[in-house]
Amino acid sequence: MIAADSLAIINHTHLPALLVVGLAIFFGTVGANIFQKLRIPQVVGYIFIGIIVGRSGLNLIDEEAIRSLRHFNFFALGVIGFMIGGELHLDLFKKYGRHFFVILLSEGMGAFFFVGGAVFVLVWLLLHDFNTALSLGLLLGAISSATAPAATVDVLWEYKTRGILTTTVFAIVALDDGLALVLYGIASTIAGVLLGQTTGSGYFAIISHTLYELLGAVVLGAGSGFLLSWILHRPYNREKSLTFVIGSLALIIGLTLILKVDLILSTMALGMTLANLIPRRSNIAFQMVESIAPPIYVLFFVVVGAGLHIAGMAAWIWYIAIVYVVARTLGKMIGAYLGARWTGAAQPVRKYLGYCLFSQAGVAVGLAILSGNIFGGDIGNSIVMIITATTFLVQIIGPPCVKYAVKRAGEVGLNVTEEDLMRAYKAGQMVSRETPAFTIRTPLAQILQTIADTDAMVYPVVDPQGRLAGLISILELRQSLADAQLAQWVVAYDLMLPPPDNIEENTPLDKAITTMKQQNLECLPVFAEAEDHRFLGLLELRKVNRQLSQEILRRRQASEA
Amino acid sequence: MKLVDYLTVDRVVKLEGATKTQALGQLIDVLSGGEPKVSRGELEKAVWHREGLMSTGIGNGLAIPHVRMADLKSSSMTVGVSREGISDYESLDPTPIKIIVLIAAPQGQHEIYLKLLAKVTQVLKHSQRREAIIAAESARQIYEILTGAQDDRG
Repeated sequence: MIAADSLAIINHTHLPALLVVGLAIFFGTVGANIFQKLRIPQVVGYIFIGIIVGRSGLNLIDEEAIRSLRHFNFFALGVIGFMIGGELHLDLFKKYGRHFFVILLSEGMGAFFFVGGAVFVLVWLLLHDFNTALSLGLLLGAISSATAPAATVDVLWEYKTRGILTTTVFAIVALDDGLALVLYGIASTIAGVLLGQTTGSGYFAIISHTLYELLGAVVLGAGSGFLLSWILHRPYNREKSLTFVIGSLALIIGLTLILKVDLILSTMALGMTLANLIPRRSNIAFQMVESIAPPIYVLFFVVVGAGLHIAGMAAWIWYIAIVYVVARTLGKMIGAYLGARWTGAAQPVRKYLGYCLFSQAGVAVGLAILSGNIFGGDIGNSIVMIITATTFLVQIIGPPCVKYAVKRAGEVGLNVTEEDLMRAYKAGQMVSRETPAFTIRTPLAQILQTIADTDAMVYPVVDPQGRLAGLISILELRQSLADAQLAQWVVAYDLMLPPPDNIEENTPLDKAITTMKQQNLECLPVFAEAEDHRFLGLLELRKVNRQLSQEILRRRQASEA
Repeated sequence: MKLVDYLTVDRVVKLEGATKTQALGQLIDVLSGGEPKVSRGELEKAVWHREGLMSTGIGNGLAIPHVRMADLKSSSMTVGVSREGISDYESLDPTPIKIIVLIAAPQGQHEIYLKLLAKVTQVLKHSQRREAIIAAESARQIYEILTGAQDDRG
């Protein structure tokens, strides 16, 4: 009773928009952490939390709140489009352009024909109305061809993927909104005629409108990209550049809303223009936007989940939804496979691209709402409900499938920086275990021999119990080389210096390196975390840097293989 | 590196005892006399800990015991000479020890410490010089042979 009462109070109070933002980001992050522990991509966590707090759940984020965050969502989509555009380099299109185009057509048309056919058959069997069945089939088929970039690329970014599959996914999800809009333009024209709602002039209006929406977006994005690249070319400081890029993004997103052209396509064209015109300078711009992006993404996906009105939906909607999801999945997978085969694309693309194309969101929901407005009545309403239900289903199963695909293709973790690696490694993993330790009695002659045979700069000296007694550095050793006689009677004990600071094996590598840099140390002794606190070896800055560069090189080569 | 900077005449002594313990004890007395922050006991402990790892008798009748300690004022050396020789010192060769140079350096002067070790070894490598030191009549004479030896080399 108490719980119900307090919920009722919440329900009757409109939360301030900023509180909604705070709640969404906070709980979204918490949810994502739980899902990450279950090895499920974080984006599923955001959407799930959204469903719980949204219209289908607690209604903390109600329709009013979602409406108030509408502009924020446009911004988030713009950022996502911009970041995807940054991945699209012209040389990729020169190299793989034909692949991308054929695969795009085949996966899009695959979904269109499978969903269209299945829905047509199902509705015809249920209603025995040919025109309605064909109209619904065409419209849902066209809508089903769209792949939502946001949730897909969020998985790619989360798992730091790199390689031919990743590249192809970026290109396909970037382009297939365009394909979906074209297909929808054609489908809605035919449906209009079938349902007796469009006159002859309607064809032209819809097709020209679609063309305007697509071409207008590209012209706006690319044009702004030229302008922005000219401005960014001048030397500006970092802070000003960030302000400038964010400002420009907001400006362009606002313009797409006024001009009613496709938002994602527009910011994608902007990102692509910058990435290709001024690759080095724009790289900084993309990094800056990326660094502020995470909370924007969290809020965006939570609101997407909150907006899904799936509670209390009729059973037959779910039947069609399930048929739709199965048909779309088959269509995308078979289409992507055939397209990849025809173009002779690489194995990972043939085998796994289909798994990466399930996500559906913005464009599909947008087209569904548009259908609701154009066609009204039962057809319009059922399209909105079916797309809502299927969006829920594919947003939950889509991201894990993307994860599966990139993992099987071996592209996970190949797109990392040294900083990423430093955060991921523990100090204990980087200890130079091959560096021999001297005992305090080891004579200089033997020390010199060992140094000649190994490549360390600093050597540990241990006492008879194996405890670290000190360090011998080659640089300091120079002094003792003046007289050959010293070699006979000077021992490690005379040459060693007391160990500086020390760390435990499970200290994150980045923290260990910060300690070394702050204290100007070339190396740091690492001890076991177990009770005996035994000495494990030395962490050498020089070797760590070498190992990190090698690891990055190895991953780059693996991604290009 | 000039030995004059690390040796004074009053730190050159004639060794009275015939054993390693007596000889080192005498040198430790001399050295700790000028060290306000280090007790004789601590210095003795450090010297014998090092001897325990490996004897500092380096052959040709020469021994160079050496220690580093945190609280020492500065790097310094103390020289003891015994005409009779100390036969229980343990050395790289069977020759009894006749010249002992005790070197002590603060922990932070690692470089000076190693340079001193090398310099003393270098200076006392020549047998005539060692013989002259053993035959010398006074501490000043020994001091001059030791420090002057390196002045020749500039």
